[in-house]
Amino acid sequence: MSDKALGIITPAANFIHVDGLQDYRPVGAFSFLGRFRVIDFPISNMSNSGIDRIQVYVGGQPRSIVEHIGSGRHYNINSKRGKIQLLFSHKNDSTSIYNNDVSYFYENLAILERAHQDYIVIAPSYMVYRQDFNKFIDEHIESGADISLLCHKVNNAKEAYRNCCTINLDKETKEFAGIGYNMGNTKEKLIFMDTYCMKRDFFIKLIKEAKSISSAYYLANIIHAKRNELNVRIAPHKGYFAALTSFNDYYNASMALLDIDMSESIFADESWPFYTRTTDACPTKYLESSKVCNSMVSNGCIIGGEIENSIIGRNVTIEKGAIVKNSVIAAYSTIKAGVRVENTVVDKWAKLIHTEYIAGTPDKPAYIKRSDTI
Amino acid sequence: MAKNEMLAMILAGGRGSRLKDLTNKVAKPAVYFGGKYRIIDFPLSNCANSGIDVVGVLTQYESVLLNSYVAAGGRWGLDSRGSGVFVLTPREKADEQLDVYRGTADAISQNIDFIDSYEPEYLLVLSGDHIYKMDYDKMLKFHKEMGADATIAVRPVPMKEASRFGIMNTDSEKRIVEFEEKPEHPKSNLASMGIYIFSWKLMRKLLIEDMKNPESSHDFGNDLIPKMLETQKSLYAYEFKGYWKDVGTIDSLWEANMDLLDDKNELDLGDPSWRIYTEDAASLPQYIGKEACISHSYVTQGVRIDGEVKNSVIFTGATVGKGAKVIDSVLMPGVKVGEGAVINRALVAENIKIAANTKVGKKDSEDILLVAKNVKGSD
Repeated sequence: MSDKALGIITPAANFIHVDGLQDYRPVGAFSFLGRFRVIDFPISNMSNSGIDRIQVYVGGQPRSIVEHIGSGRHYNINSKRGKIQLLFSHKNDSTSIYNNDVSYFYENLAILERAHQDYIVIAPSYMVYRQDFNKFIDEHIESGADISLLCHKVNNAKEAYRNCCTINLDKETKEFAGIGYNMGNTKEKLIFMDTYCMKRDFFIKLIKEAKSISSAYYLANIIHAKRNELNVRIAPHKGYFAALTSFNDYYNASMALLDIDMSESIFADESWPFYTRTTDACPTKYLESSKVCNSMVSNGCIIGGEIENSIIGRNVTIEKGAIVKNSVIAAYSTIKAGVRVENTVVDKWAKLIHTEYIAGTPDKPAYIKRSDTI
Repeated sequence: MAKNEMLAMILAGGRGSRLKDLTNKVAKPAVYFGGKYRIIDFPLSNCANSGIDVVGVLTQYESVLLNSYVAAGGRWGLDSRGSGVFVLTPREKADEQLDVYRGTADAISQNIDFIDSYEPEYLLVLSGDHIYKMDYDKMLKFHKEMGADATIAVRPVPMKEASRFGIMNTDSEKRIVEFEEKPEHPKSNLASMGIYIFSWKLMRKLLIEDMKNPESSHDFGNDLIPKMLETQKSLYAYEFKGYWKDVGTIDSLWEANMDLLDDKNELDLGDPSWRIYTEDAASLPQYIGKEACISHSYVTQGVRIDGEVKNSVIFTGATVGKGAKVIDSVLMPGVKVGEGAVINRALVAENIKIAANTKVGKKDSEDILLVAKNVKGSD
């Protein structure tokens, strides 16, 4: 397999905050589609692309990411030649302007300089998509560009992709004209997937340069600042793409995968598995009374109630007489008999017992805190 | 290397021919069970959960798949330093003309060198084709308390069925006074589970003697245990209460799967303190479709259900098409049930395709139908 590139996985920027969920863990550790965590996607993409030397910048509240990734064996990384390296460089306050990707890279410059791979691929731990990075690298090399940026054209940038970077194109030449932010002012945008490919030497030079200009610079900022000198290539991505940069985006991205054709478009290919850490949960038991439709259910659940258009994490109990609709229920939660839940994200270990009805709306889903009893 | 107090040897050489086409290509311990497991996951997980570090798996019949399966000891957590799962197939040895295991005891005898290298005090001998959860450490404590030379795990069976089993007759102190293989008139209902703890030093001696005995069939039940009783060795019966099943036939394999649907099922695979470990699969969670209807069933990840599923166990990656009905059945991994097909009281083998609108099995059939070949449609 290719040993061309070093993989780098970055945490969400300091201005991204997903209400509720992010109080307990970084976006990369969010549960996604019942049995995954978000960071499984970039790591699996790299592993499947033959990148077996991966640096993961962990960011704030590292416990769940560290526990989840562990030795990295479950990502099919060669245990001798490969390695997943967890790097900690977050300052205490996650919103601090000093918490930016350039400063993490700068702190670990020695490791980046020692690496022997000619190229680097950077992918975010807060976005979900399928991408063959080998192809991304090869096309980058062939193009002769300084930098390749992966991006996705969307037509719902008003209501989604908040705080994501965007690629600005020159109105006439349609060529790269800089990196901006999605302010939600127009529907159509070219969203930058925070995914880069460039030569390792070039990357190190950029980091040093960025650091010398501003301590608050992100990698995207230095590329934007040098937009006129750099040869930047835009690589379009097609297929499912989710940026989990707000609570609504998380909810909608989850719900979008209840379209089974959409989810099979990224999951059905056996040569491109998405790995995760097993919990050795047993299969799920559906009781006599269960009524389930259009839902994803993970292992280890006991289902006695009604479920519709929902995603159910591992080891969840939904008792007979409970109703769950349009909701995301995270692992180890319990929904008691007589409780009705709609348009809600229920975080891990929560218990809905002494209530009859909890509901948000599709535009404003409700959130139940981790380990809460209601 | 750290000394291992008790080493486990799992006998996994049997074919299980009464499982018919299910064991054409794999040995019985590799047969699937319970949605995501193989039968051998049970003894292996029991070993791991009982704190046993070194497990030898004695394979023989169609062992390629089984060997590679159990060799990945990490699946059961048996991969720490000094720990491991070792596949022990019959080896050609320099000084002997032995290339098959001639019996259960012979399988151990031929691996005395392996066992010796860990210097164990005790040897645990298990069968690779039983489904149960058991803490072997508790059994070892009993063995030590009794000061036994051998301890045999037994479980009470209904008296009228006792003549189908190897029956242990014990005194009031649980000491075994007599062993009868399938007795016509059983005196007790304590059936041997094929789980033995031996004090290794003595057993090693007996095995070497047995190897040289041309009269012996080299079997624990037929030769070694009777011999020990004859020579007044101290044998004790350790009574196990809990779920235990030898899935020897298609009907009993089907039944054991159906047992998982019972709310009071003692096997309780969801118990977090005694998990059963198995191979990990990368797949979506299970998807229950828009027109699906599912009740009283046991379903695992990677399954897609668009039809009706009732009283059934559905294994990894199986799919049930729109309008199809799967009732009182077991679908093994990768089974594809076409739209409108109806399956009743059947056990469908791995990766079998059932064409759309076909009918398989009968609602009130006496026996469970094994489907081991693709079922084609009429057109």
